[in-house]
Amino acid sequence: MNLSTRMVVVLTAIGLLSGGLLTSVGLLTEERIALNKQREIEAAIIQVVPGTRSSEKLYEEKDLSVYGGKNEEGSLIGFGILTSGIGFQDKITFMLGTNTALTKINSLNIIDQKETPGLGAKITDRKFFLQYWENKDCSISLSLHRPAVSAPKELGPSEINTITGATVSSEAVLDAVNSTLERLRKLKNEGKLSKKE
Amino acid sequence: MSTKSIREEFLKGLWDENPIFRQLLGLCPTLAVTNAVINGFAMGMATTFVLIFSSLVVSSIKKLIPSQVRIASYIIIIATFVTIADRFMAAFFPPVSKDLGPYVPLIVVNCIILGRQEAFSSKNTVGRSLIDALGMSLGFTLALLLLSSIREILGMGTFLGHQVMGAWFKPWIIMILPPGAFITLGILLAIALHIEHKTRSRS
Repeated sequence: MNLSTRMVVVLTAIGLLSGGLLTSVGLLTEERIALNKQREIEAAIIQVVPGTRSSEKLYEEKDLSVYGGKNEEGSLIGFGILTSGIGFQDKITFMLGTNTALTKINSLNIIDQKETPGLGAKITDRKFFLQYWENKDCSISLSLHRPAVSAPKELGPSEINTITGATVSSEAVLDAVNSTLERLRKLKNEGKLSKKE
Repeated sequence: MSTKSIREEFLKGLWDENPIFRQLLGLCPTLAVTNAVINGFAMGMATTFVLIFSSLVVSSIKKLIPSQVRIASYIIIIATFVTIADRFMAAFFPPVSKDLGPYVPLIVVNCIILGRQEAFSSKNTVGRSLIDALGMSLGFTLALLLLSSIREILGMGTFLGHQVMGAWFKPWIIMILPPGAFITLGILLAIALHIEHKTRSRS
């Protein structure tokens, strides 16, 4: 066998073996990876829509999924909204829980973020940020309170505390929540959030 | 062909030819993922897996690969094992996989792995290549653990997520940011060089 044939044969053989091995690994892990993702979403819905026993996907578009949380009787008790906004470094993906009228935020959960550790990454911290999102009136646009306060009760019903030293990250979450709520109201008026029969 | 004893072959990865402190290879993952001990450990394990299996495969088929296409062949072999490690972690350790993000796929371009294939596995027997890979990955993992322990303790006051510093301690946030990685690595390299000079002048 001359050299160029040998080079082609060896590279092809290695490529084929590698492809075959990866296909089987892909098939073996695919299901589990999808299941992990689904479990993560389900756990997030239960956290942001308290009392949820089962959930159902009601609407989906690019970068926005709306899940309905249902109680034991099977009636809708709130929305779990999975969406994202542009943060300081990268996308911030979060789950927002609201009541069915879209007037009250139950709570907020950050699913994925790459903000600066120690500063912007505090958006995942309940004590510094997330607690201020609990039970907020969102019938009007939410706003940030600056400078930061030390206790939630010093804030207005639609005000969110800013993280000191991480204004950009706080604003990113706030803007994403406000625009998502607006989008959702539109969808609700168009009747796209009711249960598919 | 290496003429070292099996014991020396293994131990060289820990100090004399330590990938990080002596060869300064694979610094991208070293600097990027050592902000927490668990991430450093996971990266060390993933690299260990890839290095051992790549060395085994390369050393067993070294005679079949024409030297003109050896680098391409090594990269395909390495990339295969990296992808397996990445999928495995996403399936069984989703939180760690999420934290490491793109740094697991980036093991493909980790110079330690390609370097060992080129410098060692392509010239030595399967057994020696395995010993070499074990020593090198242990040296790499220990270096990552040292770096990430210093950074996590000073940067967050915790070790593996458990609080180890008292309430008086104010975390040095810079330590878990990229500059902290450079500062820590620089100081550790200086200490390593100092020890090396001391032992060399004594002998």
